[in-house]
Amino acid sequence: MNTRKLTNLALLAVLALAIYYVESLLPPVVPIPGIKLGLANIITLLVLRLYNARNAALVLLVRILLSALLFGQAMSLLYSLCGGLLCFIAMASVCRLFHGHFPELTSILGGIFHNIGQLLVALALTAVPGVLAYLPFLLISGIITGLFTGLCARFAGHYLKRLLMP
Amino acid sequence: MNNVNKIACLLSGCILLLLTACLLILFLRRHTAQDPDTTYTAYLYQDGQLLQTIPLSQLAEPRRFTVEAPAGGYNTIEVSCQGISIAEADCPDQICVLQGTITDSMLPITCLPHRLVIELKPDDAASGDAPDAIAY
Repeated sequence: MNTRKLTNLALLAVLALAIYYVESLLPPVVPIPGIKLGLANIITLLVLRLYNARNAALVLLVRILLSALLFGQAMSLLYSLCGGLLCFIAMASVCRLFHGHFPELTSILGGIFHNIGQLLVALALTAVPGVLAYLPFLLISGIITGLFTGLCARFAGHYLKRLLMP
Repeated sequence: MNNVNKIACLLSGCILLLLTACLLILFLRRHTAQDPDTTYTAYLYQDGQLLQTIPLSQLAEPRRFTVEAPAGGYNTIEVSCQGISIAEADCPDQICVLQGTITDSMLPITCLPHRLVIELKPDDAASGDAPDAIAY
């Protein structure tokens, strides 16, 4: 990893952190736990496309740990880690399958798996099977927000590619 | 490249199918939940333990009570014969309060920081395990 790459990745991680923080200030769109835009995922998707899976994992981990340290509690760290990890595995495999094409599809699958991961944590913590009633809501929201972040990543990648990789 | 396109089409199809299935499930659940004759019983769980059950139809007047979370924090719950809601809580996200009153079995109220789940279940659907006592 050369200095330029290290700097770029650090910048992207901070960008993801900033996006995550600004998003957490917005009031919840729907009063259902687990539904959020997931805008910070744009950065993960970008790194996945412009660099590789290992670098994207690094940026994601830095973002999750820093956000938990700076503004979160231990609880949200657990949700973020499980959702984020499952989402990342899904996105990395789909991205590899498509050779970086179709960021929307990649992101939609990421969104679906992120929400499944969060629901599994919620199920494990509350131990009430009734929380599975959230599954259809979470899947639909994962598809919609995934499509949105995927489109964002497509357009942002178009411009950032020239900046990051001259 | 052609192969990749084919997989992408297939994947998009699967996602659309999933979306339709979810919408269908929600539509069907809404349909059954909005039967006006159904009476509900509220089930309160904390940390997976059933704290209490409240048959809404047997409630003479609205009640308000507070549930303390074992790890600290509280949720003030308001229940009437119409439905149940969390009126006040000191959790950081306040999503449970924002959700308002639930009147059917569509969606439980969950306060994840306090690991509290409130479910409404129709009384007649599971005739076998209808509550025969109110536990406070």
